[in-house]
Amino acid sequence: MTALLRTFGAPAVLFGKALGALRRHGLDGRATMLQLVEIGSKSMLLIAAGLAFFGAVMVTIAWAQARKYTGNVTVVGPAYFELMLREFAPLLVAVLAASRIGAGTSAELAAMAVNEQLEALELSAADPIAELVSPRLVASVVALPALLVVGTAASTLSASLVVTFAFGADGGAFTDARFVDAPDVACALIKAVLCGAFIPLAAAARGLAARGGAPAVGEAVTAAVVDASIGCLLIDFVVAAAFLLAGV
Amino acid sequence: MCASPHHPPLRLRTERLSVRFGEVLAVDDVTVAVAAPSRVLVTGPAASGKTTWLKALAGLVRPTSGEVWWGDDVVSALSPEERRARQAAFGMIFQSDALFDSMSVLDNVTLPLVKRGVPAAEALRRAGEALEQVGLSAAAERRPETLSGGMKKRVGVARAIVSRPSVLLADDPFAGLDPETERSVGALLLEVSEGRTLVAALPDPSPSLPLPRVLRFDAGRLVADEAPR
Amino acid sequence: MIRALGAFGLSGLRLTGALGLVLARTVLHLPSLDRRELLRSVVLFGYGSLPLALLAAILIGSTVVLQAGVYAVKFGARLYTGWAAGYALMREFGPLLLGLVMAARIGARNAAELALLRINGQLEGLRGISLDPFRLLVAPRVVGSAVAITALGSVTFLVAVAFEAIASYFSLKLPLRVFFESFSDMLRQGDLVGGLVKTLAFGVAISLVSTVAGLRARGGAAGVGHASASAVVLSCAAIFSLDLLLTPFLTRAFS
Repeated sequence: MTALLRTFGAPAVLFGKALGALRRHGLDGRATMLQLVEIGSKSMLLIAAGLAFFGAVMVTIAWAQARKYTGNVTVVGPAYFELMLREFAPLLVAVLAASRIGAGTSAELAAMAVNEQLEALELSAADPIAELVSPRLVASVVALPALLVVGTAASTLSASLVVTFAFGADGGAFTDARFVDAPDVACALIKAVLCGAFIPLAAAARGLAARGGAPAVGEAVTAAVVDASIGCLLIDFVVAAAFLLAGV
Repeated sequence: MCASPHHPPLRLRTERLSVRFGEVLAVDDVTVAVAAPSRVLVTGPAASGKTTWLKALAGLVRPTSGEVWWGDDVVSALSPEERRARQAAFGMIFQSDALFDSMSVLDNVTLPLVKRGVPAAEALRRAGEALEQVGLSAAAERRPETLSGGMKKRVGVARAIVSRPSVLLADDPFAGLDPETERSVGALLLEVSEGRTLVAALPDPSPSLPLPRVLRFDAGRLVADEAPR
Repeated sequence: MIRALGAFGLSGLRLTGALGLVLARTVLHLPSLDRRELLRSVVLFGYGSLPLALLAAILIGSTVVLQAGVYAVKFGARLYTGWAAGYALMREFGPLLLGLVMAARIGARNAAELALLRINGQLEGLRGISLDPFRLLVAPRVVGSAVAITALGSVTFLVAVAFEAIASYFSLKLPLRVFFESFSDMLRQGDLVGGLVKTLAFGVAISLVSTVAGLRARGGAAGVGHASASAVVLSCAAIFSLDLLLTPFLTRAFS
């Protein structure tokens, strides 16, 4: 229980501090762009490949079951596309981003913390939160929806290619957007933005708190990725439940 | 000269100061005053609370209980902006040097001035002077990771004095240095702290850094406050 | 560009070689594993990660039902929720999501510990007194973490299915009996075995990848951070790749 409080409490406190720092110092545009490039370039390949593989796996599984019970897998195509766009892609993109961004951010900040560089920054009249956390927060909030679009496209494309070429059926059905409506898109984007905010905050909270030597850095990375992944699973669950209860 | 103190002398005091990290009580009820200017050596075994006390003096570590005083002000009562502005009175030489490997030596030394809004031309001039004083003008464009331990320490000294602080803090400045380098870094510390307050932490008193007052720490507590024999 | 591609290919080759080497040496040492160290790593990685695995299982189970439940209602297939949710969980979401969480918890930690041993010179130190560090420290971790992840996988499946049933009860008003009837009528042992095979494969991949990442670490605190971060990322990549490679085979073998 205390562990759970720590998982969500520390990032929440840091969120408040980052907002305060943004209000006081404004946003460092250059640092934010750098972080955006860093996040984009490092996560894009992992997420695109991961989601493409996942799309292929999902249609393979669906194919095997459909042959047994319904006979024709293409009838589930449009529903599959909606489910992918609204639920699966946001979940997997978030968990992958939690690993990639969470591990990178916490490793970097934890190394700075144990090397006393954060304190050196502070004595240089720099606000570590404004310098290090705010740009990462903004960049990640912007990057996650973009990564979600890439991931959804990759998983859809690979699913329809596998259906067309491996199973010899109409793969176009798996890109059929007839069921997709505004709430679906909203649900997906809300998840992406919330996870986009949570991941860097969870990672920075663990990274900045690292004390001691090299062992503390390893501990910080482990805890950060665990916090970020579990946090994204929980955010996903809560948003999915909220949309289900609202009936949209 | 460039390194003369720019900030007025600052009396420092910790009043019943305790700092706790999780389970560990790093500093335990320490009350001590440091006159301005004066030179003080802090000694004690590893994990005796020297570093934490030093960092608390500079406002880098929040007290769990008790107070740190800068002159007539309690640090915890200052707003973050005020605290950050007043921290300009401190220069610290870190045990791990804490230099940024992604920046050149010159950029490392210029950083505190740039962050305080000193115009670029003046910042460069002052950083150049600070590097000259520590004898590293030739290494200005190198990366910190390519330097020897003694040279890194000197870069740290240059960064600490560049904003003309009235208090210099040095955390275990001789760690990992050979005896000869130790002597020259000790002499440099004495030279640049002329007219300032110097508080240096060392595991044991060293002839390379003879200071008139010695504070002994053990297990977080101040156990002795003495002048050397 | 060509040079970058070449460097990328070369580092990929080096990584594959290192993975093969660790795997081969571990298999060679299987008969003579250090028992105490093996037990220690099973307890550390397995028992220590149990609360996290249970939490993940609860979230995964409930989320899968919430996600699929809308469609069950939409297509009038409410009664088949037990089958669909159970199948999706065992065949794909259970192993995949648990694998990703364990890549963080076990992979990052294993890499960090080995990186520390290496950076502090303890591995070389053992070699200096003519003890084989691989047999004593590395091989038991590889086996221990793989065993731990598989064991956690089976426990997690049970918990996740239970929470699927609970979530269906609350969100779709589906009686628990109906959930488990469609679950047991339409699912076979093969589905469970298929999921466990995936979990085992992911466990082995995480332990190998994180061991290689840890042993390659260089230099100080930043090196340890880099090692554990790359262990997590490479584990994720390995999990998704293995998932793609194994699924066609497993659906054919167990359907």
